[in-house]
Amino acid sequence: MDRLKQWLKTVTLYEIAAGMKATLSHLLNYKPVTLQYPHEKRTLPDNYRGMLALLRYDDGTEKCVGCDLCEAACPSRVIRVVSAEVPGEPTKRYAKEYYMDMTRCLFCGMCVDACPVDALGMTREFEWAVYDKRQLHLNKQQLLAIGDRSFPVREKRLELQHPNTAFFNVAFKHVPQKPV
Amino acid sequence: MTELGLRFFLSLTQIAVVVVIVIVTVLILTLAERKVLGWMQDRMGPMEVGPYGILQPFADAIKLFFKEDIVPAGANKFLFTAAPLLALIPAFIGFAVIPWGPDWTVEFNGTVIKPFVISDINIGILYILAFASLGAYGIILGGWASNSKYSLLGGLRSAAQVISYELNVGLAIIGVIILAGSLSLVKITNAQSGWFWHWYLFAFPAPQIFAFVVYVISSVAETNRVPFDLPEAESELVAGFFTEYSGLRFAFFYLAEYANMVLVSCIAAAMFLGGWNAPYPGTVFDLLGLPSLAWIENTMWFAAKTYFFLFLFFWLRATLPRLRYDQLMRFGWKVMLPIALANIVVTSIAVYLFPNS
Repeated sequence: MDRLKQWLKTVTLYEIAAGMKATLSHLLNYKPVTLQYPHEKRTLPDNYRGMLALLRYDDGTEKCVGCDLCEAACPSRVIRVVSAEVPGEPTKRYAKEYYMDMTRCLFCGMCVDACPVDALGMTREFEWAVYDKRQLHLNKQQLLAIGDRSFPVREKRLELQHPNTAFFNVAFKHVPQKPV
Repeated sequence: MTELGLRFFLSLTQIAVVVVIVIVTVLILTLAERKVLGWMQDRMGPMEVGPYGILQPFADAIKLFFKEDIVPAGANKFLFTAAPLLALIPAFIGFAVIPWGPDWTVEFNGTVIKPFVISDINIGILYILAFASLGAYGIILGGWASNSKYSLLGGLRSAAQVISYELNVGLAIIGVIILAGSLSLVKITNAQSGWFWHWYLFAFPAPQIFAFVVYVISSVAETNRVPFDLPEAESELVAGFFTEYSGLRFAFFYLAEYANMVLVSCIAAAMFLGGWNAPYPGTVFDLLGLPSLAWIENTMWFAAKTYFFLFLFFWLRATLPRLRYDQLMRFGWKVMLPIALANIVVTSIAVYLFPNS
């Protein structure tokens, strides 16, 4: 009996008809899931890991203290930091040169996690297709420009911070914490 | 001499009209296929060129026209050039005997022509089958002349498949030919006039339902469409026999494939679904007292039936996965062929028992 049923299903093309019913129902209840990308874009979440950027304090000074931790944390060796003393301010360091080779970046965010002064940020920019790969080798000025246009609200520079000390916001409980 | 010239001119006009109609249909099909396929898969299909992408066929045509024409190294240049034409011409030539509208005759300055069929030859359907077989040469020569393993495999598969399934197409329509007693598509269509149960799909002594199913399945296989698209199986053979083709020659193959689809749909409509006959006797225009406009209704019915089959092609493509090669051959020779042969026997007996119906 079971085999007869199976045979009847084969002969009457039952399963093909069932499949065709499914496709036709999608045609009749047409609800496309497509987003017409260049014309309409989806809203990205706040923690989207897009293009990397260097940030500044609200008075325009760079946050980066040239500690090289991002370079050490990067699994793809994207980042190269040339650290130097701030002229006239011994013991205070900054990144004299800062390069990112975005052709290798895999947007893992480890450099952002590693940064002790929150000088790195991930923006929501992702449309970085270029005709020349060399345009993806970014220097400090370009990275700062990305940060300027993506994070218009800057963090306040801490008061009570001695101008000659590099300030780390971890493990120094005796200095004032950053306002949240 | 002038009469011959006039006949020549009238025939050329008819041919030009039919070719233009077929090409416009193909243009519509290329868009309609992508749209219907997209809708069935919850996508939108082409949306960029023109409103809702309706100008996409023209964009495709312009792109193909201006593409570089590449002949691969080691290709047989003559056959490589000839193959697209060998595929295209048989696909278009079959439309010469398709009746698009009522079987009228118009006298034009002493020359009698049939406006809705280019030439009503008495072996119409045989002529179409013969030229459809020639189309396989274009495919296999294109595959061989490209000097590429994918093309060759696609061409070989295609040759085996087209030959296997052409047999089934030929045997499936023999039942209709027995019922109609003629090979002429005009006579076959005329014999199906009246109510829709006079269509050979439902006709009295021997309804051709099984032959119809065999014909539809085999014609899908013969035009190399999904689920029988082994010759151009893009997941295995890049693009099958036209892997190495580009530009205008690729466009010719593409055109041939879609023209073949239109052709087999026209044959299915004419042989099984009554062609240009409405499902009711006569036409609405006749009842309204406008018999000279009845051809509009009849050609619309023919177009509706043809487009139904073309939609079926898209529908199948959206639904079914590709067959394996041994499944294809087993299905063709062990399932379709016996059904078609049995249908011939049953139809013959039925016509013998009821000779006057």
